[in-house]
Amino acid sequence: MTEKKKTYIEDIERTLYDIKDEDRSVYKAHSGLTEDVVRDISTRKHEPQWMLDFRLKSLDVYNSLELPTWGPSLDELHMDDIVTYVQPDAKMTGSWEEVPEDIKDTFDRLGIPEAEKTSLGGVGAQYDSEVVYHSIQEDMVKQGVIYTDMETAVREHEDIVKEYFMTLVPPKDHKFAALHGAVWSGGSFVYVPAGVHVEMPLQSYFRLNAAGAGQFEHTLIIVEPGASLHFIEGCSAPKHNVTNLHAGCVELFVKDGARLRYSTIENWSRNMMNLNTKRALVEKDGIIEWVSGSFGSHISCLYPCSVLHGENARCEFTGVTFASKGQNLDTGASVIHAAPHTSANINTRTISKAGGMATYRSAVKVTKNAPFAKCSVNCESLMLDNLSRSDTLPVMDIEGDEADIGHEAKIGRISDEAIFYLTSRGIDEEEARAMIVRGFVEPIAKELPLEYALEMNNLVNIELEGTIG
Amino acid sequence: MDDKIFSEIPMRTWRWLGVNEARVPENLSDNVKKQQILVEAGQKDEVVLVNREGSQLEVQVHIADGGELHLVNAQLVPADTAVTSRVKVYVGKGAKFSYTTVEAGARHTAAELTVDMAGDDSVSDIWGLYFGDGESKIDLNYVIRQKGRRTDANMQVRGALLGKSEKIFRGTLDFLEGSKGSVGRENEEVVLLSPQVRNRSVPVMLSHEDDVDGHHAVSVGKIDEGKLFYLMSRGLDMADAQRLIVEASFNPVIDRINDEALKEEIDKVLMGRLVNG
Repeated sequence: MTEKKKTYIEDIERTLYDIKDEDRSVYKAHSGLTEDVVRDISTRKHEPQWMLDFRLKSLDVYNSLELPTWGPSLDELHMDDIVTYVQPDAKMTGSWEEVPEDIKDTFDRLGIPEAEKTSLGGVGAQYDSEVVYHSIQEDMVKQGVIYTDMETAVREHEDIVKEYFMTLVPPKDHKFAALHGAVWSGGSFVYVPAGVHVEMPLQSYFRLNAAGAGQFEHTLIIVEPGASLHFIEGCSAPKHNVTNLHAGCVELFVKDGARLRYSTIENWSRNMMNLNTKRALVEKDGIIEWVSGSFGSHISCLYPCSVLHGENARCEFTGVTFASKGQNLDTGASVIHAAPHTSANINTRTISKAGGMATYRSAVKVTKNAPFAKCSVNCESLMLDNLSRSDTLPVMDIEGDEADIGHEAKIGRISDEAIFYLTSRGIDEEEARAMIVRGFVEPIAKELPLEYALEMNNLVNIELEGTIG
Repeated sequence: MDDKIFSEIPMRTWRWLGVNEARVPENLSDNVKKQQILVEAGQKDEVVLVNREGSQLEVQVHIADGGELHLVNAQLVPADTAVTSRVKVYVGKGAKFSYTTVEAGARHTAAELTVDMAGDDSVSDIWGLYFGDGESKIDLNYVIRQKGRRTDANMQVRGALLGKSEKIFRGTLDFLEGSKGSVGRENEEVVLLSPQVRNRSVPVMLSHEDDVDGHHAVSVGKIDEGKLFYLMSRGLDMADAQRLIVEASFNPVIDRINDEALKEEIDKVLMGRLVNG
């Protein structure tokens, strides 16, 4: 029997992301996690006492919790080797001209300042542990929109931060939430007043340059009743030969009738452990839309969670994961229906190749308080060789009888019938295969902002050499 | 393994969902019934096991190349009894394993099914039914491991939950490396009949082989109101209409049983409990 030819899908072109800058940080904490390190971070940030107390309490929780007993092995993570705080040689500014040249060059290469000119309402840029640039359009400020780095928010909007900070993802949630609570640094704070519609997206970009470091940015977004926002988050890092750690935390509060779209393209380098926690609390008639692309990192554990807390609250989750050689990407979503008539729609695609491991993991929980909940889950996986793994592990937990829950998953390769159908319509065979692969990720690509959709097209760079499979 | 754990899911997940392990039921009888079933190469057999008194059932099945077995495992124990069932099956080259299982009794049921489809071109056709009422707990863990080339696995499960019953169904299709050309389908349909029930469904699909075709689906909800309306407009009262719809959903499983007397017994137990529930 002749060996079937295969269509190969190239890895993402990483040259752009892998350019390392010289490490010119002005301060680095000792590696490892001790009370002194935590106090030191707080002192350097001139934080109020309550935040220091919060950090120390989180450290206690961290020390009391075990590593998760499920998911990818985290044996390669040695916290004693991780530097939890790296202060770059730059102060936060509202002008790119004032950002040090080498750091600005990095963000130039990533296209951030250009995007700000053309399509964004505001930009935040974090380099290692601190935000180095933040700006927002004047007319948004006039409408009362606040978009700033978390440190400034703690100082200038202390009451709001104190009310919400790590209430949705409490430190005791899991070991890396506790770690985050102890050493968080940087991140963005967004507050959209009631009824205000932010017309252009806000974007924060997180870049981790230092080797062996951790990035623990905190994103806190509050969208008041009837308001709307599109927030974009981008992440990347150059490749080092030591393990880096990302344990960020995102807390999203979507109030009555508000709408928030949260788009992420994560393209960390292949030495990164990405153990991120994202959660949204959605009130009555509110809508959370997640668009999540996971392409980078060595190991990822990422499952954005939507708590549908108010009647008629809605969640739309769209995700794509691409796992290649040396990657174990464990991604998915969870939804908790906690009020009547809440609804959710989860739609994901995963591709694994060259020994990559992709896992779709999800939880749909319908509580007793959520009659007439509706949830539809659809996940599809494409495997491109038998060196790779693709696993699907969804859980549905439904209390009560007034729920309508459907789940569907598929795994496999491109069918010969599909190729036959397209070729019988006059499309040449190679184009037919390319169309099918593009079609596989298309439901996700169409939800992405344009520049990211283009990035994903580059990602799915198909070498047409016979059939997939 | 913790001696309180009866069976574990092949891939663990969040602990708060409580689905990683099936626990050994409390007050389980010491009565262990062991059975070995050997189907010789090219032979065809049917074995019917009915558990009416409550015991720990342990069954080992070996189906040699080209053999065929239809195993019926009906659990009809009294409603205040605890029961376990563990069935391990080896399916050889070109062999076929058909399984029809009914979980219709017991206060607490834990059941494990492991099917090793070791031979090329082997077939597994699994049909299960469960019915929970009162405060019953049903905890099921079915795993099909597809090792051979061109294996064909089908797992179809129907269930209904009434009263304050709770159920966990874990169904795993595991495509191992080398299972080229294999297909697997898994489907669970659950009807929820009371506001106090709790249903957990865990359809797992694991794949280490690209040339496979796997599909799983779960559907959980109340009885379709359109169907109810139609039947009631034909003169049936609500209870009869409900019973008819649940019966229709169970029929594809029960119809596989050839023993008419057993079929009737199961039907009587299920419909009696449905009416009383």
